[in-house]
Amino acid sequence: MTLGIKQSPQTRTVLLNGMVVLIWENPSADIVAARIFIRAGSQWEAPQTAGLSHLLSAVLTKGTEQRSSLQIAEQVESVGASLGTDSATDYFLLSLKTVSADFADLLQLAGELLRSPSFPQHEIDLERRQTIQAIRSQQEQPFSIAFDQLRRIMYGDHPYALSGLGTEASVTQLERTDLQRHHQTHFRPDNIVISLSGRLQPDAAIALVEKVFGDWQAPATPLPVLSLPAITSKPVRAAIAQETQQSIVMLGYLAPAVVRERDETLGSGAIAASPLLTASMQEYTALKLLNSYLGNGLSSRLFVELREKRGLAYDVSAFYPTRLHPAQFVVYMGTAPENTAIALEGLKAEVDRLRTHPFDPETLQAAKDKILGQHALGKQTNAQIAQTFGWYETLGLGIDFDTQFQEQVRAVTVEATQVAADRYLVEPYRSLVGPSAVVKE
Amino acid sequence: MPPVLSPLPFPANLMTLANGLTIIHQHTPTPVAAVDVWVKAGAIAEPDEWAGMAHFLEHMLFKGTERLAPGAFDLAIERRGGITNAATSYDYAHYFMTTATQHLEETLPYLAELLLHAAIPDSEFGRERQVVLEEIHQSYDNPDWLAFQSLNEMVYQRHPYGRSILGTEEALMARSPAEMRQFHRAHYQPENMTVVVVGDMPKSAAIDLVSQTFQSFTPPLDCPRYVSEAEPPITDIRRQEIHLPRLEQARLLMAWIGPGIDSQSQNLDEQLQAAYGLDILSVLLAEGRTSRLVRELREERNLVQAIGSSFSLQRESGLFTISAWLAPEHLERVEAIICDRISQLSATPISEAELARCKRLLCNDYAFSTETPGQLAGLYGYYSILAHPQVATTYPQRLQAMQATDLQCLANRYLSPYHYAATVVRPLS
Repeated sequence: MTLGIKQSPQTRTVLLNGMVVLIWENPSADIVAARIFIRAGSQWEAPQTAGLSHLLSAVLTKGTEQRSSLQIAEQVESVGASLGTDSATDYFLLSLKTVSADFADLLQLAGELLRSPSFPQHEIDLERRQTIQAIRSQQEQPFSIAFDQLRRIMYGDHPYALSGLGTEASVTQLERTDLQRHHQTHFRPDNIVISLSGRLQPDAAIALVEKVFGDWQAPATPLPVLSLPAITSKPVRAAIAQETQQSIVMLGYLAPAVVRERDETLGSGAIAASPLLTASMQEYTALKLLNSYLGNGLSSRLFVELREKRGLAYDVSAFYPTRLHPAQFVVYMGTAPENTAIALEGLKAEVDRLRTHPFDPETLQAAKDKILGQHALGKQTNAQIAQTFGWYETLGLGIDFDTQFQEQVRAVTVEATQVAADRYLVEPYRSLVGPSAVVKE
Repeated sequence: MPPVLSPLPFPANLMTLANGLTIIHQHTPTPVAAVDVWVKAGAIAEPDEWAGMAHFLEHMLFKGTERLAPGAFDLAIERRGGITNAATSYDYAHYFMTTATQHLEETLPYLAELLLHAAIPDSEFGRERQVVLEEIHQSYDNPDWLAFQSLNEMVYQRHPYGRSILGTEEALMARSPAEMRQFHRAHYQPENMTVVVVGDMPKSAAIDLVSQTFQSFTPPLDCPRYVSEAEPPITDIRRQEIHLPRLEQARLLMAWIGPGIDSQSQNLDEQLQAAYGLDILSVLLAEGRTSRLVRELREERNLVQAIGSSFSLQRESGLFTISAWLAPEHLERVEAIICDRISQLSATPISEAELARCKRLLCNDYAFSTETPGQLAGLYGYYSILAHPQVATTYPQRLQAMQATDLQCLANRYLSPYHYAATVVRPLS
């Protein structure tokens, strides 16, 4: 099933300094969305520097060599544009949305923020305080507590263990020199993908990007290489007691990164052609399908079996994010405290069932059509288009990944789902939050 | 006196069938079709004892009809790669789906079947009520939901806008399937319904499809209705303080009653001018780093973690709110500062630069929120329920017509530092 939406960007250009530029021309609305990805993110943090990339994202828009925080905000807000920065595990992101007439000026500003941030000390102090408060505030939501606990038990010392905000201890120690060093190391043109979608003309857009970023020289030093400790699966159960109205129950399984092989000599995010690539892409795709079948949408297995037929939950779902490093295959539910044990059993039984009850052809086809349809419907707005293609490029998956993924989904066999389930979905990590009477073992 | 606007052409096609059903259609080039059905069957249609009925019915609708098993609709949409969901508010309930255009003809009948012929099976009623109770429990674990709910109760002491849309466990446990069927047949009638279709489908095909599938409505039944009582205006400062466990920061919520769409004293143009003017004021106060309260309270004085403001337009009343997340020790000071900045709005007209910024932000926001067929369908449906769909696309033009003196008058009329409601949430210590 295809929506007939054009599957890949109209142009892909690499500037002399190594910056990759993706442009999708979409004249239907007077909007331009830009997503500028830096191949950095919290994956580069050690436990004692956790939160560095996030703090950088908070302070980057607060001063450049030419402008103050207020002047930057005035420039953006006076034209009704939006400009924001975010840090994820696998990348750092600057997002921009304007009407087409304002795009050139705002891209110029974005260039200035990325190339010459000033990291004013009082802004660092302000944002550091705000971050520490935000870390504390995560303790207010039972879901956040449960997920935080799950991440920690699954990842240990690996950077994926922490929320991007870091910890109070690590954030307290972050200094201006840390921000500067991180910026200098990672913010270089040959480490950046800029993805544009909207009412723009490709040649003019490339010329504009050249004008803003063309004279930014990549340093002579090679790109930094990230090496992380291997993660082994040692499932455990963890529980936090809180006298909440609901229990939150989560099962997590360590699962493949989007690609297994990575050619380290080409730097973080770039991949080498490898015979193992096909095999690991098959596993990844099969697990994506299984996760969607289990927890995505109103006809998903968990929704139907645990919510509709048994009334155990309002919120019951699954996710398996696409990541550079080993990811989490998670199923979860919020339930009445007295149903905590039943909920846990129910979730586990549904995952186990994947191994014992192979799909019949009709179920497999429906699952494929569902994931393909939802995938397509997630690329409607300019922001979504810019985000999707820019992200795939940043992860080193290539501009054809969107098409390849769809082909791979169509090609998934029942055997492939069985093999993937047998390999990865056997013994889960368990994370519980709820009243002490029901969560203690 | 707002300027008289010359009417803009409404970009969508609008018609009313003989049975009273409203259809709105707009052709857009993307090969996707969004359908959004809006029903005047929100929480305000409930009598007090039936609080939560409208939302519970929204859940029960998906449990099928005599011809459709529970879950059959969801599967029909999702196996064709579509997405679907529903939501209930005070003034309406709405049901929406998006699919590839070629699937609309086969899938729309499923949605119509549920809406028109919901069986509300006895066997599913108790079980789905458990799901709604879990939704309620989840909201009770959310401090921001609890804070806002408390604020609503304090502002609307008689009107159903003060109730929780979800209802309460007590009220829900006392309900029966027969009562729900009564509510369904009373309200899910063509004169209360708007079907919006936006996508790559020609007008005639869309109108034919909708009129054929939304035909055989069941005969209406009567049911207990909400009996309206006059809502006392806020003539002083109403105040309430809540303590919650595990709270990491305090909340301050302040609210002022504003215009709804329906009014005895003003015509529609005047109501919209007031409502959109309050939109501008909410942006002026707390949208973006250069807004008055974000700049002063977060960036310069570090008195809040975050601060926001919004105006919520509903049929019978509007609500202007300011919300802050902050350390408990700053609560009194921040409330006092906000009151002072509010009174400045009546005292001094805002600058041309500030006015231009706010207008531009809201106009762009409008453009950024109407990119997809689903977003457009939602916008038309919302205005169809509240007033007339043609109003939807007049938003940018009405904003642009706003003058600084208009905003000063609005602030003077609606935003008094002496008459408002405030909910404070502190950690339980």
